[in-house]
Amino acid sequence: MAITLEAWPVIGRRSELELFERTLALGEQTGLLIHGRAGVGKTRLADECRDLAAALGHPTERVVGTRTAALLPLGAVVGLLAGGFGRPGPDGQVHAVGLFEDARRALHERHRGRRLVTVADDIHLLDAASLALLGYLAGQGTIFMIATVRSGEPVPDLVSGLWRDGRVERVDLEDLRREQLDTLLHLALGGPIEAGAGRALWEISQGNPLYVRELVLGALEAGALIERSGVWHLEDRLPTTRRLVDLVEYRIGGVSAEARSVLDRLALCQPVELDHLEAAAPRGVLESLERSGLVTIALPDREVRMAHPLHAEVVRAAMPATRARAILLAEAERLETEDPTDGPAALRVAVWRLDGGGRPDPTVLIRGAHLARQAHDFRLVQRLLEAVPDDQLDALGNLMLGEALYELGDFQAAERMLARGESLPVAPEIAFAIAVARTGNAFWGLCQPETALAIIAQARAEVTSRPFLDRLDVNEAAVLMFSGHPEPALAILARIAVGDTRMQVVRAIVEAPALAITGETSKAVAIAEAGAAAHSALDEQLLVAHPTTHIFNRVFAMTEAGQLSAAEQIARAGTEIAAADRVPIAQVWFAANLGRIAILQGRVATARRHFAEAAGLAHAYHLAGPRRLALSGLALAYAMLGDAVAAERALRDRDTLPAFGFVGPEQQLADAWTAIASRRPAEALARFRRAAAEAAVSGHRTAESWLLHDQMRTGGADASARLRQLADQCDSALVAARARHAGAIQARRADELARAADDFEALGAMLLAAEASAGAAEAFRRAGDQRAATAASRRSSSLAAGCEGAATPGLVQTEAVVPLSKREREIALLAAEFMSSKDIADRLYLSVRTVNNHLQSVYTKLGVTSRADLAQALRTRS
Amino acid sequence: MTPEQITLVQSSFDCLEPDLPALTRRFYRELFARDPALETLFSTDMAEQEASFARKFTEIVRVISDLDEFLAHTRALGARHAGYGVRVAGYQIVGEALLEALAAILGDRFDAETRGAWTLAYSLIAETMLQGAASTRHPI
Repeated sequence: MAITLEAWPVIGRRSELELFERTLALGEQTGLLIHGRAGVGKTRLADECRDLAAALGHPTERVVGTRTAALLPLGAVVGLLAGGFGRPGPDGQVHAVGLFEDARRALHERHRGRRLVTVADDIHLLDAASLALLGYLAGQGTIFMIATVRSGEPVPDLVSGLWRDGRVERVDLEDLRREQLDTLLHLALGGPIEAGAGRALWEISQGNPLYVRELVLGALEAGALIERSGVWHLEDRLPTTRRLVDLVEYRIGGVSAEARSVLDRLALCQPVELDHLEAAAPRGVLESLERSGLVTIALPDREVRMAHPLHAEVVRAAMPATRARAILLAEAERLETEDPTDGPAALRVAVWRLDGGGRPDPTVLIRGAHLARQAHDFRLVQRLLEAVPDDQLDALGNLMLGEALYELGDFQAAERMLARGESLPVAPEIAFAIAVARTGNAFWGLCQPETALAIIAQARAEVTSRPFLDRLDVNEAAVLMFSGHPEPALAILARIAVGDTRMQVVRAIVEAPALAITGETSKAVAIAEAGAAAHSALDEQLLVAHPTTHIFNRVFAMTEAGQLSAAEQIARAGTEIAAADRVPIAQVWFAANLGRIAILQGRVATARRHFAEAAGLAHAYHLAGPRRLALSGLALAYAMLGDAVAAERALRDRDTLPAFGFVGPEQQLADAWTAIASRRPAEALARFRRAAAEAAVSGHRTAESWLLHDQMRTGGADASARLRQLADQCDSALVAARARHAGAIQARRADELARAADDFEALGAMLLAAEASAGAAEAFRRAGDQRAATAASRRSSSLAAGCEGAATPGLVQTEAVVPLSKREREIALLAAEFMSSKDIADRLYLSVRTVNNHLQSVYTKLGVTSRADLAQALRTRS
Repeated sequence: MTPEQITLVQSSFDCLEPDLPALTRRFYRELFARDPALETLFSTDMAEQEASFARKFTEIVRVISDLDEFLAHTRALGARHAGYGVRVAGYQIVGEALLEALAAILGDRFDAETRGAWTLAYSLIAETMLQGAASTRHPI
């Protein structure tokens, strides 16, 4: 996609353009003054005004104030001096008045009296003579002046005079607000942008349009901002370009050497305490920096920061390496002396020493890595620990590095670090933690469940203490649960003692989804909630999954319980947290869960979007198992939309990935539905049957219910008895509703089918409700109840309208709506306007009895019982 | 917009679609409450006006995930509105009225995120309509 400077849209400036257009048209004023900070878009707005004027048929001109042009009188405005620099007067001198008047006359003639719309950019840089000429021409109505002035610069007397006299309109441009910036990005990039990238651009640019543009173009050029599946992602830090450096240098270039030194220090080490800066800088320096808007001082905590984040970036980028190093090392020294504790200062000291090119003490680096780990900043953990010489990195260091590499998706390297850690002399709890991390890496990263189980078995042989054995058990349960064996997993958990808070947390991560899968949904929800509460009480978070894990477990359990809209709301909130904390695995799980919910709600196009996002993210972060799950969901969504080709493609992608047993039977919905979309119904039904049998063996009760119900709703064999059994075994409203629907299908009972539609609608499962209602219509018709049949059929269509283009066999309409006769239609239209039968009869010269007979027939055909419904039904039909 | 925001706008729209007539009525009520003078801008047949608003609104929300389609719809719509004499300030008021109407119809579903997503969606719609309006260079 080609993105150029010129193509950038103008956002949030329309009322200014409108003001210009009106002012120009009214002809009472002589110009427009555009005032604002550097980079706010004054020149762009002035040029847009000029283009607009040109489109309206005005001649236009442009003069630019520059520091060099200011040295030559009238140098900037040569274009306005139509007749050259003027004729000498009788005294042999060129007089300004004569010169200006000549210019006016020449312009007037050349443009046949139309006002020349003249942009005077950076008017504060124009020389006095040029200003005088512009003022004269504007005053005479020869030109309409669009002047730009940067805030902080004096507005020339001429312009401020015109403004005070009300002869010039003034607009003060502000930086863009957040939604304006997001709009700009959407239009400039030509598509949606991932939440983290949007936030990064906002935080660093603060809505300054020029900075945004430079940041985006720089990031595109450096390949840091890339498009994947139609969404823009930020893969790396935002780079600073040469042009950005120049822009910012221009803004801060004028400060004194002492002030610059303060800025350098802030750029590298901010925030810095006010007292410390005051002690180091001469009096007045900080005040002048604050006055010019370059630094801000937060009073309660007496901390000083640079006012614009971008200025700090640029000052850093422009600083000579030797100077940066000296500042960083000095600040590290100072902070270490002032605060020798292990607190947050330790991390700053470690990073400064590293950035300063020093050889930081390995203990400082490791201390810093601990703190970075607590903040989930794995890149920083990696950076700090890779700076420690191999022979000085102890087992714990190797563990943290291995874990960071795992989080960053480098599974082979993670295994190397962890194996190295294991080979070092080590305390039992660290050895244990390494075994846990290796298990996770083997299972989630390398996708080798057998290896993971072998690591656990080996560790079990080496540890003796009860708590460690319990935690190994939890780990084994996790591997079993996520490879498709929830029941053995629960059996292991059942024999473990309750344990401490930490134990409760890790245990909940496994137990909640295992219970949900086997159908104990309310217990699953409760355990996920308790896990979240216990997790927030843990102060030391090393080796425990991100806290949002409990949230998506809760979402999963609520979905299985049939609480679809509540699950959706929680998932959306969780998505925000995961995006803000930049935890890709959690983002993938939330997107996949949102996809499952949307499938069940019948919002199939929404489901497709969520699954596509989950698959894209999982791909980017090398999460093969979750990607497999997401691609199954994607195929399912495409198949339900009737797009067999896309569904087959998603399945092919999926089948290149290693096996992943989590909700394995459910993953096969994708294969069955793709077969349906590809018109291979026999294959689909066989697949439903086989997958349901697997689910029965492995205890996937909710999945079995889903598979058997889908089998029946797509015309397969009766499974209502088994579905009823499952409903008894599970405490899920969704599983129960499926069982009732299956019973109604089997019994071909119209009233029960209609009730099944009610059940599904109450759960928010609109596609299932639409299908049940279509089935009810069919059954009513067989029973000869035409009115109820039509009503059910209309209800089915209206429910299906919310299903985003779902094309499932159960939706196929078996009955065309019975047409109204001409007379019936005539009467219906009048009745829909609440005209009484008597009035209708009078108007159409009929008896009241005939009118009522016709109306009765209309009600039957349309399946309505009241005049209000009648009006609605007529609208729907037309 | 983020992909999540697009999904949120479209899914909350799906959820309110059955209530579209109520939303439309509420929207015009909010609009005229904010600026009674606007009422004169509309044709005499409010029922027709409401139906046309609902149709256009549905079309645009449906294509918001497809930028080319979206731009084609909104720019043409903006150009038409320039012809009706709608000014920039009008877009501001329409945005407020629309958000208010959405809040009223969506109730609890209109949480902070949903509001944020709609605010952004409206900003996108208004800015691109204004681009379309500007392309007509219609003299005031």
